[in-house]
Amino acid sequence: MATDRQSFDEIDWGQIDEESEREISPNFIIVAIGTALMGAVWAFDYFFVTGTWDAAIGMDFGNQYTPTFEVIGWGYDVTQLDWLFAFSLVLFGAYMILPLYQNPRMTKYYWRDMKRNRPAMASLGWLLFIFVIGVIGPAIIQAPTVDLMTKYQPPMFLEINNVYPINCVGEVAGGDCHGSLEHPLGTTGDGKDIFRIIVYGMQISMKIGFIATLFVVTIGSIVGTVAAYAGGLVDEVLMRWVDIQQSFPTFILYLLILYIYGASLFLFIVLFSLFSWEGTARYVRSNALAKTEEEYIKAVQLSGASTYRVIRSHIMPNSASSIVTDITLLIPSFILFEAQFAFLGLGDSTIPSWGVLIAQGRSDLAFAPWITLIPGLFLFFTILAFNFLGDALLDALNPEADAEAEQ
Amino acid sequence: MFPVTEDPILSVRNLKKHYPITEGILSRQVGAAKAVDGISFDIAEGETLGLVGESGCGKSTAASSIIRLEEATDGEVIFNGGGRGGRTRNEDGTHPNDVTKFDDGELKAFRRDAQMIFQDPSSSLDPRMTVGSSVAELLLVHGMTDKERRREIVEDLLERVGLEADYYDRYPHEFSGGQKQRIALARALVLNPEFIVADEPVSALDVSIRAEILSLLNDIQEEFGLSMLFISHDMSVVREVCDRVAVMYLGEIVEIGDTDEVFRNPQHPYTEALLSAIPRPDPSAQRENIELKGTVPSPTNPPSGCRFHTRCHMVIQSDEYDLEQERWRAVLTFRDRVRSGEIDPESVREALAFDADDLSNVDNQTVKDELRTEFDLAEELSDPEAESVLQDALDALAEGRIEDANDRLSAFTTPCEEEEPQETDHGNGHLSACLRNKPETEHGAPLADD
Repeated sequence: MATDRQSFDEIDWGQIDEESEREISPNFIIVAIGTALMGAVWAFDYFFVTGTWDAAIGMDFGNQYTPTFEVIGWGYDVTQLDWLFAFSLVLFGAYMILPLYQNPRMTKYYWRDMKRNRPAMASLGWLLFIFVIGVIGPAIIQAPTVDLMTKYQPPMFLEINNVYPINCVGEVAGGDCHGSLEHPLGTTGDGKDIFRIIVYGMQISMKIGFIATLFVVTIGSIVGTVAAYAGGLVDEVLMRWVDIQQSFPTFILYLLILYIYGASLFLFIVLFSLFSWEGTARYVRSNALAKTEEEYIKAVQLSGASTYRVIRSHIMPNSASSIVTDITLLIPSFILFEAQFAFLGLGDSTIPSWGVLIAQGRSDLAFAPWITLIPGLFLFFTILAFNFLGDALLDALNPEADAEAEQ
Repeated sequence: MFPVTEDPILSVRNLKKHYPITEGILSRQVGAAKAVDGISFDIAEGETLGLVGESGCGKSTAASSIIRLEEATDGEVIFNGGGRGGRTRNEDGTHPNDVTKFDDGELKAFRRDAQMIFQDPSSSLDPRMTVGSSVAELLLVHGMTDKERRREIVEDLLERVGLEADYYDRYPHEFSGGQKQRIALARALVLNPEFIVADEPVSALDVSIRAEILSLLNDIQEEFGLSMLFISHDMSVVREVCDRVAVMYLGEIVEIGDTDEVFRNPQHPYTEALLSAIPRPDPSAQRENIELKGTVPSPTNPPSGCRFHTRCHMVIQSDEYDLEQERWRAVLTFRDRVRSGEIDPESVREALAFDADDLSNVDNQTVKDELRTEFDLAEELSDPEAESVLQDALDALAEGRIEDANDRLSAFTTPCEEEEPQETDHGNGHLSACLRNKPETEHGAPLADD
């Protein structure tokens, strides 16, 4: 043993002041910088872009198109949803992805478990594909536009009777219009390119997933841990509030707001995620209560650590796996909800989402089934992938279950 | 009161921990589970005190109240370590070193001087933290912000408890039970405490690993002059590790003394029973195996007098009767079971009948015989007076008059249920709380005669 090494019995605790026990973690720094950057862009957007446009028109229309990045020649209008999406991405990166890099051993351990599960790996690949294309795609690919001349173009390798399209872009053979590379997935009844709608739809699905998660996890885990730790009256009040909210007909509230203000994706996401955290809160609470009885939590309390530290460094990370699994079941239900509302005509019919596309193709099923089928397949596989992944995560992220199996 | 050892590092005085039992919406308190009901002992510097007893007797509750993981209901825990020695009581009678009254700041400082090792190594480490950071966290909590320094100290410590420095970055699931317990020991040591509570530290481990962990504990205790409260239900482990031993039964300490002395010459029947359960390597050794019947009574409503009297094999006879000790125990057990309504003659009859619908062919004599066999009451008690009482009671029972049987059996009484035993001093700090050991006792010979 090296003699110059520090040893625990040589520490002079009298010399160590009671400094702040909270370190600023790199994860927090990333979130702070990300938020600051977004704040700057938002301020720029608000004061210079939207303001200028408003001034040019002479009044504030609220929702008008204001290309935020026109300065650098990019005509993309950043909306409220984009801000929320960007913020949830920063949080996701800092508290889900970065920890995987920071704890390589744990990551390797999970990865080994995950790798054995083939459907889960395929699902992960699919979701990664949807995510990457969904985030980057709309920035590169132009938004789908109405072009009646090219309506009902069939996808590649399919054909349609030439009476439907006005102007067949591909090859016409034997009275049938064949699909072409121009519109690889065909077009809709008003000539919108389905491929582009699918790509834009990916982003909408991802937005729904991420923003809903942001709300549900934040509110759910705060309410859950506070209820578990405060106990008594606070616990009682919070949990009864959860009960009340769980029996609240969110759908009717949504309809009401929709009739007054009109439908928008923002309304849908915010309203439904604000009314879906009850399950997570309940779950986190029971989990936190169970974990408090664990010996390692007692050991941490014995170390003299603050309640904040116990919750933040031990209860939360140990509940994370269950929250993640919970979320993988919640996200697909949100995406499905959106599609269902769109199909019923209760959603924002102007957005290029999969649900809207499915609804659009409804009347053309007889001769142009791909309009409904293609987004339907994407929806189906995405939801299936979330479910498979949730199952696999439940198995992989639960070391306790493993430890029990060993005994 | 138990005598004060010279300058103890820890003295526990009349410590109580009652868990309230509440009822209704208003949470009205209707009773309390007296998990720990007034225990007192001292631990000298460098000494190991063993706290033994069955599961459910309150050992672990005592430990967590002493180290203030839970708030004690009453009593004092005076901790004189960590430079606190030499302080005297305040004017209002409180002690400045009383752990149960420490404020947040004092408590945090106390955490540096007293730590704990838990029973189950697989649940005492956070599964999502590297073991190194689990140990280093304590340093961080106490203000050591230098990351490199923390790592250096913990790596050194891991080596001292028989592991390797590069285990720092591994997770608990990568270790065996014994290794995890070494890590738990490192965590307890990292703040350089003077006092450690070890709550059954080896009972979850394989027998082959026990010895290693025990000898590690021993070495570390010697090297750093630690004092220890060692909780266990295993008398053979206690004999190996502890300097002194305190035997707990149902929230009270029934016997305390030097380990050698207590093991050689137990003064309380409960201690005797626990000791008789130790397996002996010598098959020719003569020692009766005392079997404690029944379970520990509920701490919500502990038995009157001596709490052990419901199970004690040496329970004192009342003066009117003269039975063999074994029969006397059987009679009292029978009485208690009738009193608590646990004996239903009808169901005995049903069990004896071949045909459940026709109970008429089971006569009263068969039922009585069955009850006698079941409660080990012999065919006839040697004392005629006792026999007649028992016979009456059995008759009443067989005829279904449970109340009458109960009344009749109330004739059997023992001083043990009426009088609370006081501590008897057997010299050299060896104390016991048993009526048999009362100096002016007329209840027959004391437990051990040597």
